[in-house]
Amino acid sequence: MKRILLSLSVCFLLFASCQKEEKPIEVTSENLHEAIDQVVGIMIHDIFSPPVASRIFAYADIAAYEIMAQHDPNYNSLAGVVTDLKPIPVATETDNINYQVAALIAHMEVSKSLIFSEDRMEKYQDSLYTEWKNINETEFTASKDYAMQVVAHMKEWMDKDNYKQTRTMPKFTVNTDDPARWQPTPPAYIDGIEPHWMKIRTLAIDSASQFKPLPPPEFSLEEDSPFFKEVMEVYNVRNDMTEKGDASEEIAIAKFWDCNPYVSVTKGHLMFATKKITPGAHWIGITKIAARKVNADFNETLFAYTKTAIAIFDGFISCWDEKYRSNLIRPETVINQYIDENWKPVLQTPPFPEYTSGHSVVSGAAAKTLTSIFGDDFSFDDDTEVPYGLPVRSFPSFNKAADEAAMSRMYGGIHYRAAIEVGVKQGRDLADVVIAKLDKMTNEKIAFNK
Amino acid sequence: MTKIFSYILCFLMVVSCKKEGELFSNPSAEDTGITFTNTITETNELNILDYLYFYNGGGLAVGDINNDNLPDIFLSGNQVKNKLYLNKGNLQFEDISVSAGVEGNSTWNTGAVMGDVNGDGFLDIYVCAVVGINGFRGYNELYINNGDNTFTESAEKYGLDFDSFSSSAAFLDYDLDGDLDIYLLNHAVHTQDSFGKASLRNERNYATGDKLLRNDGDRFTDVSEEAGIFGGVNGYGLGVAVSDFNQDGFPDIYVGNDFHEDDYYYLNNGDGTFTESLKTHFGHISRFSMGNDVADINHDGFPDILSLDMLPEEETVLKSSAGDENVQMLEMRTERLGYHYQYTRNMLQINNQGENYAETALYSGIAASDWSWSALFADYNQDGEQDVFISNGIPKRPNDLDFIKFTSNEQIRKKLDNTKLVDQKALDLMPSGAYHNYIFEGKEALQFKDQSEKWITKDTLISGATAMADFDNDGDVDLITNNINQPATLYINKTDGKGNYLKIKLNYKKPNPFGIGSKVFSYQNGVLQYRELFTVRGFQASSEPFIHFGYPENTPIDSLVVVWPDNTYQTIKNVQPNQMLTVAKKENSALFNYSTLFTKKAPLFTKVEKNYGLDFVHEEDNYVDFNRQKLIPYKISDKGPATAVGDLNGDGKDDIFFGNSKFKPARIYYQTDTSFVEKTPVTVKNDSITENVDAFIADFNGDKMNDLFVVNGGGDFYGKMKPLNDVLYSNKDSVFVKTTLDAYFENASVVKPYDFDGDGDMDVFIGSDAVSYDFGALPNSYLFKNENGSFTPVKNEALQNIGMVTDAIWSDFDNDGTKDLIVVGEWMAPQFFSNKNSVLEKVMPSEEKLNGLWQSIVEFDMDGDGDKDYLLGNWGLNSKFKASKDAPMKMFYADFDDNKRTETIIATEKDGRYFTIANFDELSEQLVSLMRKKFANYKDFAGKPIEEIFDESILEKATVRYVHTLSSGWLENKDGKFSFHEFDSKLQLAPINTFLTYDFNQDGKKDILAAGNYFGVKPYHSRFDAFTGAVIYNAKDIQLTDKVGLNLSGKAVQKLNIVKIKNQDYLLVTINDNSVELYKLKNN
Repeated sequence: MKRILLSLSVCFLLFASCQKEEKPIEVTSENLHEAIDQVVGIMIHDIFSPPVASRIFAYADIAAYEIMAQHDPNYNSLAGVVTDLKPIPVATETDNINYQVAALIAHMEVSKSLIFSEDRMEKYQDSLYTEWKNINETEFTASKDYAMQVVAHMKEWMDKDNYKQTRTMPKFTVNTDDPARWQPTPPAYIDGIEPHWMKIRTLAIDSASQFKPLPPPEFSLEEDSPFFKEVMEVYNVRNDMTEKGDASEEIAIAKFWDCNPYVSVTKGHLMFATKKITPGAHWIGITKIAARKVNADFNETLFAYTKTAIAIFDGFISCWDEKYRSNLIRPETVINQYIDENWKPVLQTPPFPEYTSGHSVVSGAAAKTLTSIFGDDFSFDDDTEVPYGLPVRSFPSFNKAADEAAMSRMYGGIHYRAAIEVGVKQGRDLADVVIAKLDKMTNEKIAFNK
Repeated sequence: MTKIFSYILCFLMVVSCKKEGELFSNPSAEDTGITFTNTITETNELNILDYLYFYNGGGLAVGDINNDNLPDIFLSGNQVKNKLYLNKGNLQFEDISVSAGVEGNSTWNTGAVMGDVNGDGFLDIYVCAVVGINGFRGYNELYINNGDNTFTESAEKYGLDFDSFSSSAAFLDYDLDGDLDIYLLNHAVHTQDSFGKASLRNERNYATGDKLLRNDGDRFTDVSEEAGIFGGVNGYGLGVAVSDFNQDGFPDIYVGNDFHEDDYYYLNNGDGTFTESLKTHFGHISRFSMGNDVADINHDGFPDILSLDMLPEEETVLKSSAGDENVQMLEMRTERLGYHYQYTRNMLQINNQGENYAETALYSGIAASDWSWSALFADYNQDGEQDVFISNGIPKRPNDLDFIKFTSNEQIRKKLDNTKLVDQKALDLMPSGAYHNYIFEGKEALQFKDQSEKWITKDTLISGATAMADFDNDGDVDLITNNINQPATLYINKTDGKGNYLKIKLNYKKPNPFGIGSKVFSYQNGVLQYRELFTVRGFQASSEPFIHFGYPENTPIDSLVVVWPDNTYQTIKNVQPNQMLTVAKKENSALFNYSTLFTKKAPLFTKVEKNYGLDFVHEEDNYVDFNRQKLIPYKISDKGPATAVGDLNGDGKDDIFFGNSKFKPARIYYQTDTSFVEKTPVTVKNDSITENVDAFIADFNGDKMNDLFVVNGGGDFYGKMKPLNDVLYSNKDSVFVKTTLDAYFENASVVKPYDFDGDGDMDVFIGSDAVSYDFGALPNSYLFKNENGSFTPVKNEALQNIGMVTDAIWSDFDNDGTKDLIVVGEWMAPQFFSNKNSVLEKVMPSEEKLNGLWQSIVEFDMDGDGDKDYLLGNWGLNSKFKASKDAPMKMFYADFDDNKRTETIIATEKDGRYFTIANFDELSEQLVSLMRKKFANYKDFAGKPIEEIFDESILEKATVRYVHTLSSGWLENKDGKFSFHEFDSKLQLAPINTFLTYDFNQDGKKDILAAGNYFGVKPYHSRFDAFTGAVIYNAKDIQLTDKVGLNLSGKAVQKLNIVKIKNQDYLLVTINDNSVELYKLKNN
């Protein structure tokens, strides 16, 4: 009797599971936010420099976007728009494909191929995949199969962006004879990073040098030279801040926008690092805040991410092109050498030449792009840095935020005024190209603040 | 029941059983009564984050405080009370800390030392403290011995109550006024982010600066400033040694500084002042200098120095710990900020009669002993050679790379932001650095053998301060270590009757009754041993005041010469070993003549001050090979310059051509009746773009005028770039006409002309050493046949693909009357080409596996048997490279990651497995796709042999090249067959780059001058700067040249030439990146 009951119940269970009704898998913009947050966390752990981080964002977004755009007539493919991108393979069996699921899978798969700690990404994917499989295995499998085809297509394109080649190109050789040139800075005196980033294939702009800025003020220790005045401005701003104390607004601004992925700290033989998100990741975070504020749907959110990530990606290439062209010395080095041996900037000087300011270029580019999507006078509360122990800051618009981000580099003691002002302009100018190219993509312009 | 009983018994046996090594036993705390444990308590307010030297441990002073002939023990605790143990004999100790009144009042005690401060014949105790940070209170305490096993703290009275950051203190009578002065060793605690300039040391700082304290009878006076002692904010003093390094009768001081600050080498001027002279006497020093010790390990009567660092020996630790700086950072620290060359490893500095030091730790086998604190030299096994004990370990490894890069982030940030937060968790993430103490057995010829597994038991203690004593009065040397969180450990020496010894106590005049600063020279069977009595040695500790010698034989010691601190001496003849001797100062003894210690020889070389107008300075360009090819083992761009001597204007006088590095013009100096005048022809000057590596002056076109043949390289130009072409400048009517060998693009290394086909004109062999940006590929070398001044290559596959050539000679090795060609190079064996009817045919006159990193070759009858032997310059043995016939060094050369660029990965053998020399970061930087995805962290990578780092399929792609020997040596000719013999130790300390044949001692027989040194390596390897040069007379008579007027240590010598000036022969020395030097030779 017992045995019969048991087998009956097994039968029932089997039957029940077979009979489970397959609902469509539902994917929302929150899934996308979460996947991106996941990648950001891994990037912090793996320690990616700001330019390299921007590449991970852009490629994952583009892969996902291409799948979405194939299905949603409101969006056009980026093939033929961003450099060398060919149309993704068209799905042969379209019946069971959930394009948003496929887009998200492609996003995660591309991200996974670009970060190092794959196990962390896999853990996240596995839990999602199990969930989706439970909901609708047919749809999940079809979507995943298609996503993987697209990922393979994307990888082929990504592989040709010169990234691999730049890995083995020469390290940056410090010019110790010329006092105007960049020197490694305390405390870790790290070699100049990514000296060949300008050789990475751009996405929207023609070339790394399309928005080549004016050269920086010529190095000079003459008191009334423009360069020296800019040095003294950084020095004096810092000193004024010291007088105002740690609670000053300038300190708050500098720290809020630090966005340094690897700040090394040395205490005797004890060394460690405090890590934060990169400038690019901060603006990706702002994109999330804006998308959430207007309740953007999955496709709208993905478009916003993609467009912003492309602007940031090109921004870094444009900026790095200038950095290793002008190869300018950092304020900390000049001041320690000629003015005040004990002077220390508020922020740790990042390991690459000064001009133009990377954060300024990227903030200018991202803010202008976001404005094109969400409109001007779009106020928001920026809580992106809360996980890193920093407060929320509120801004009346993206452009105002970008201005503050740029200026934060002077408060931080790591950039002169020219690098900031010219940098923001450089970013905004190149964003125009991104906006122009990508606005043409949508049949129906998305403007949430209408 | 019986079973349980036997278990218990067994357990008890294990517990109480004292540990035994072959040489030392460790009686337990229960047995001896020494229960002192330096317990460190980490709190949220106080841990390594707050105080950088939180784990440095306490102090330790051993001496007989009650003059009962039994050494007593004082141990200081960082956070626990000090203890004084009275030696009751039979290794029984009584804790008299409380009754003696020495438990201490400072919050954080450090070094502890004994010395007779007031000169009453009783040892007093000085205990250092860190005061003024982290709420640490107190001051350095001076316990004056009342003579009745009690002490009176009197620091204030004596002016020694410093409330600063003290590490330790050393006793010395620097002004020879008879009483003991004190050198107070302090350390900085600030951990400033930037290095700051070296000149920071000139500004005195009370808390961090070292102090020299003159004993004025009843008080000590700080005389640091007037005596020339640095006292800046960047002095991280952890080690201090006192010794008369230059044997001039006045004690000198060596201070080991942690981090970027240089060590200080204070030479006593004899007038109450010192001159800090590190840079002029040391080629390089340890970087994270910890404790140190001094002893004469090579029997020459001059004290040598061992300075400890923290280089791990074990692969797993080595590859997961932060290590060396990169090339550019070192350049900035040395060239821009003014610091000396420092590298992360122990340094053994062999004293060259006070003139300079040759650093041999890698050769000697004691470069890596992990996180090392104290070194104490003594002849522990009593065989006549100095051994060394090194204490080791740290509770947490703060330089663990996983901790730094991955695990620390989250935990520590919280702590920094809010000091109230508990953060033991963060600290717990650091791996333990409990590593065993080391003991090395001293061998002949500067060699040390690791006996840590045999002589002592491998412990897991964290041992710091260490002191020596003869606790059981059996004549051999015992040890004691002060440990963190474990009871202090006694090491009782069991050598007993197995060796021979002499233990000497000195009885000197008050106020220095123990005779601190005395020297004893011992001669047995012509072997000198030398010791000085300075009790403060090692790290934060002082040892029992006696002098100990071990002897290989139980035969009388011919003589003992005791030199007292006042430099008077007395000699005791015919002393039996195996006794404890007390030597008292005799009245009216004569002054010791130190000049007897110095070698006196008529100089063979006399430096010419203004070089007769040869003001050529070779300048290397800014090219850094490692920026292009990150994994290559050494540079290929710094093998110049070329030098060629010959008459270029037909006036019968020697003129000189100096090549230069790229973009810097070569120079020609013409000899006039009075001097050399630089007058470089425009054709040559215009070729400044090239890097000239070798050159030769001869008549190449048969017009009876000498021409100039220049070969170019430099490693930066590549492919078919014109600056790689070699050039013949033909001398025509006093202008140079240029002929370019424009079809050949190689990094040339050597040009050797010879009329190999006997047709009356000069043919040339041009060897090449590497392919630019493709290290490991074989370049082409060519034999060019001269046809009326134009050169065409002779087809000879074997010669063309011979390898990475560095040098060659034409020499008739088969004795058939025509010269043959021998070619040497790197990653290859010497290759012999027999010249048979003008055809060079490869022959194999040696069967040995002789791949080396050969740099030079010369013909010489080394054994005087009338045939031609060959001397070979190799990389030397004072290097992290390691090679043998059975375990050759390997180069794996392939495009590992399929990115169309090749990589060069070097691996050496360790315990039967091969490990890459490159660390995880270096490999990841070059092979990002292969490394970062495969290894999540440093721990995964560390300790893995190369075949676990790279998949088999990847390694299979690689061409493997080998090095079987790194020794320089000579090929002995035995009836046309050659067998290899290594040179002795003094010729193995650096690469030998060049040889010169000449009769230097004018005895009618040719001699060889060898020179070398090389700096084109990453900081991982340090600098090969220890070779002074040597004259080789024959296999048995090889003399370093510093004793005969030529000291080339610290200089990367590339070329040696003889120049005739006014019928007198001179030696011309061409040095990479330096000025040329000219030496007058012994009259001929």
